[in-house]
Amino acid sequence: MEIELLTPSKETTDIILEEGGDDLKSCFQCGLCTGVCPWNRVTTFSLRKLIHKAQLGVVDFEDDEVWRCVACNACVERCPRDVQMPLLMRAIRRVIMEVGAGIVPHSLRISEKNISAVGNPLGEPAEKRMDWAKDLGVKTFTKGTEMLYFPCCYQAYDPPTRKAAIATVNILKKIKADFGIPDNSVVCCGESIRKAGAESLYRKLAETNIKIFNDLGVKKILVTSPHCYHTFKDEYPEFGGNYEVIHLSQYLDQLIRGGKLKFTKPLVKKVTYHDSCCLGRYQRIYDEHRQVLTSIPGIEFEEMRDNREYSLCCGGCAGRLWMETKKGERFSELRLEQVAEVGAEILAVSCPYCMANFNDAVLTTGKSETIEIKDLSELVSEAL
Amino acid sequence: METPKIGVYVCHCGSNIAGTVDVQQVVEFAKKLDSVVVAREYKFMCSDPGQNMIKEDIKNLKLNRVVVASCSPLLHEPTFRHAVQEAGLNPYLFEMANIREQCSWTTEDHEKATEKAKALVSAAVKRVRYHQPLETKDVPVNPATLIVGGGIAGIQAALEIADAGHKVYLVEKDPSIGGHMIQFDKTFPTLDCSACILTPKMTSAGSHPNIELMTYSEVEDVSGFIGNFKVRVRKKARFVDEEKCNGCGVCMEKCPWKAPSEFDLGLGERKAIYTPFPQAVPNIPVIDKEHCVYFLRGRCRACEKFCERGAIDFEQQDKIVELEVGNIIIATGYDPFDPTPIVKYGYNRYPNVYTALEFERLCNAAGPTGGKIVLRDGSEPKSVAIIHCVGSRDENYHRYCSRVCCMYALKYSHLIKEKTEADVYQMYIDMRCFGKGYEEFYERLSKEGVKFIRGKVAEVTDRALTDEEKGKLIVCGEDTLLGTVIRVPVDMVILCIALEPRSDAKQVAQLFRISQGADGFFIERHPKLDPVATMTDGIFIAGCCQGPKDIPDTVAQASAAATRVLSLISKGKVELEATVAVIDEEKCSGCRVCNILCPYNAITFIEDKEVSRVNEALCKGCGTCVAACPSAAITHKHFTTEEIMAEIEGVLV
Amino acid sequence: MSFEPKIVGFCCNWCSYRGADLAGTARMKCSPNVRIIRVMCSGRVEPTFILKAFELGADGVLVLGCHPGDCHYVEGNYKAARRMPLLKKMLAQMGIEEDRVRLDWVSASEGDRFVAIVDEMTEKVRALGPFKNNFKEAKYG
Repeated sequence: MEIELLTPSKETTDIILEEGGDDLKSCFQCGLCTGVCPWNRVTTFSLRKLIHKAQLGVVDFEDDEVWRCVACNACVERCPRDVQMPLLMRAIRRVIMEVGAGIVPHSLRISEKNISAVGNPLGEPAEKRMDWAKDLGVKTFTKGTEMLYFPCCYQAYDPPTRKAAIATVNILKKIKADFGIPDNSVVCCGESIRKAGAESLYRKLAETNIKIFNDLGVKKILVTSPHCYHTFKDEYPEFGGNYEVIHLSQYLDQLIRGGKLKFTKPLVKKVTYHDSCCLGRYQRIYDEHRQVLTSIPGIEFEEMRDNREYSLCCGGCAGRLWMETKKGERFSELRLEQVAEVGAEILAVSCPYCMANFNDAVLTTGKSETIEIKDLSELVSEAL
Repeated sequence: METPKIGVYVCHCGSNIAGTVDVQQVVEFAKKLDSVVVAREYKFMCSDPGQNMIKEDIKNLKLNRVVVASCSPLLHEPTFRHAVQEAGLNPYLFEMANIREQCSWTTEDHEKATEKAKALVSAAVKRVRYHQPLETKDVPVNPATLIVGGGIAGIQAALEIADAGHKVYLVEKDPSIGGHMIQFDKTFPTLDCSACILTPKMTSAGSHPNIELMTYSEVEDVSGFIGNFKVRVRKKARFVDEEKCNGCGVCMEKCPWKAPSEFDLGLGERKAIYTPFPQAVPNIPVIDKEHCVYFLRGRCRACEKFCERGAIDFEQQDKIVELEVGNIIIATGYDPFDPTPIVKYGYNRYPNVYTALEFERLCNAAGPTGGKIVLRDGSEPKSVAIIHCVGSRDENYHRYCSRVCCMYALKYSHLIKEKTEADVYQMYIDMRCFGKGYEEFYERLSKEGVKFIRGKVAEVTDRALTDEEKGKLIVCGEDTLLGTVIRVPVDMVILCIALEPRSDAKQVAQLFRISQGADGFFIERHPKLDPVATMTDGIFIAGCCQGPKDIPDTVAQASAAATRVLSLISKGKVELEATVAVIDEEKCSGCRVCNILCPYNAITFIEDKEVSRVNEALCKGCGTCVAACPSAAITHKHFTTEEIMAEIEGVLV
Repeated sequence: MSFEPKIVGFCCNWCSYRGADLAGTARMKCSPNVRIIRVMCSGRVEPTFILKAFELGADGVLVLGCHPGDCHYVEGNYKAARRMPLLKKMLAQMGIEEDRVRLDWVSASEGDRFVAIVDEMTEKVRALGPFKNNFKEAKYG
């Protein structure tokens, strides 16, 4: 038997550092990240060890563990040394995706190829991107339109998720907003594939969208995906895309406060809300959803055990949505237990990834009869 | 003797005593003892209400003896003596029974603890009957102070006392003051240069009108007591006349003979006539007889020829100086641990394994390499491993943590990163960065890309297993954070060696009648509340001779010791213990046995009367003479034979 | 119930008494049979104290001083040590077993050593059984 002896590799560490893993230097191995990581509710995963391996340049790039992190930021929220775990994991993944070390999981590779080829991870034809809005009488954004509504790829193609986009349009029409949707030339925002390490692909996507937006003179973008929100607002400026980005929840909250949105139909249901990581811990948008939900007449609102900054991730960020997660290891299933715990009939979400994951989970856990997953936009639209 | 009227007070000390000892039972027991007028219990006797209870009883019940059964008399005897005195009784008419430290805390069985407490109370009651009122006496304090050790602690203390206007004798065994601190390159966590912050203080100490610097000197004998010590100092022959020498340095320049520099730990050379380093205070060289060819073979005298002032004096002899001082501060510092016995770490076997102190000199711009961090062959290291806890936290060497290594190891990382391209590995057990700004320094160094590997290094070897390891020193051990054995090939290894007591700490302790702990460092009077005093009044300790510590803590202790001395000087007098020995001249047979036995020479023989007499100012009250007197002519006040006999009777109830 | 010996312990103020206090402060447990009498120095312990203790019913006597060289009074403990062989001889003549008296050293930092000595002494004396006071006969017989 060969004894495994470990020798630190400065070269490997340096590559990870070059790919943006600078935060590995800050880690002093306290293990809090491992302690708070949702993975350890379902299996064993030492983030701490993975960072230490990165520090010493001894990461096993062929091991699944480098693909585990869902970039939920639960650890970042509490890290005593402010280690930005998603950036660190992204750097490690870039070494695989961009530099060519290790193995990219098959399912992720397919999504990456789809995005690259047709501009969406689902592999749907680019020319059908705006088909969802065909019968809604929505105008395409042209120069001078006040606001661009940009639905996520899932909201464009995936039928159950698409309802959110439709509901959003309903609301916008109701208040007579001056808005338009993009044409079929836009592509995936790229947020998740970037976190999965495909940096050059991301840059292409960003550049494509930015060119379109800039050519059209877009100033304000309304989004219904927290992921689009995050990358448009925080990452696109680096590549020349500077826009006022607003998430529907914020927009609705403004409307309600300004008295521009009047509810007419009460919704007598017990509702709870799932904070998406990307709006919550990333953007600290917590109150808007709750204000919107509680202003809908009839709704009895109740918080789940893990809420706001301690919310439990649905398991879908950073490309995990595209990767296979074993049954029994899915955070979404745990989350549904929390929904059941408070006896809510409706789980409100405001993220297409959360929507997709929970829609799966209600089926796999046999809760489809008792729990309904609805986007915030759908609930508001129904109550108008 | 007046009729004794004794009050007994049993303390609960919260649950510290009452949790084990049945206080009620002890009180009932005490009530029945002879001459006991009142026996009470209270939750905290040392509190104001507790003390007031005693005072009230003394007034109302006309008590003339008091017994408190509570904690150790070493803790609260002064408290209760004071309370008794406030109520108009002589403070010595009080006795304490230690039913906490020596009873409730050491005994598990409640019944046995209660029995023991009763016996201790009974002993105190029986003893206190014999107590006599005693008066204390004052003696003046000599305002001069002796400070032993010219490192940062000694310098700091000397300056504080001298600045307050009092005479200080600063004795240093080496040719210059400065201690270990002047050997350091930078100081953590601020990274200010050690010499830059220390040399101004050294110069002030050297030129201060109130400081008499006695370098190259050692204390040989100490006698006397607080306020009035007599000290004998040997000034070793420098072979250079201090009065004549102007420190021009020509002698050193002209001296043709070289020797390894102690100051550079043998990494560099000095001349046979030398000052240890250029900023030496005083700037007066010494001739090293071991290496001076004139002393070895009888010719050369180059230094003498070139010295314009005629300061070289080959005939110079050691000089004995007698000093009289009121207080003494011991600041003798530490020795660096010699890692040679830890064979596996390769010190003295692999040339590129350095000790921390050697590395300090290597980093220092005035050091043997001019501040270049290089290997023995002059090349720059590409990787360096810093091994923590070498000789510290190790039952085989020293159990204690040396407290400064984590921080200087971080400092080294910074210096290496600053001066070379090398990769730095910290091989640590725990990072201990407890001081102000220390954790922040740790974080800063982490961000500079230093690699931390947790685990005690097992071995440093040159046996390569792979090509990559060839020609390297391979540091092996477990990375306990990965649970894997790790091999780190590096060019240079730095051992963070322990700080250990000076090799002559035992002699110093005996000379000054202070104690050493199990680790060999000097013991303070109380680890928390009296950190710079010793068990010997008038003798204080500061700096690393008390235990490993960093510069800020050392300076704080030195200032504390200086303050203690200054408060004694400003008070101007010390109260002598009243518990001294007295000789009944009627009974004394004049055999003089006690004269020889007394360690303080406090007993003199009065020739014309043919009796011995105790000088109360010199007597420290040990009672040795009392025990030895064949005529039973000597009484030890407050420890009289009757008192002790009564106590024996008491504990045996 | 087993025999609980009564042992008188003389401790000097500077080292052993503090060592005994430290045992308590550190909450170490030790047998309660040794009852301590504080003297300033072990050199103060007169042979008559020890004899008196036996006369009054002690089953053993323990004298604890500073370690050699550590005496607060320079050499009081040497004095105590020098007296011990003489005393033991005297005790032997009186029929007092050697193990009933012990002179030892405990420093202020050796709470554990204090406990070890006290426990050991207690067990030794327990094994010897109660001391039968036949002093008067020994003295005058």
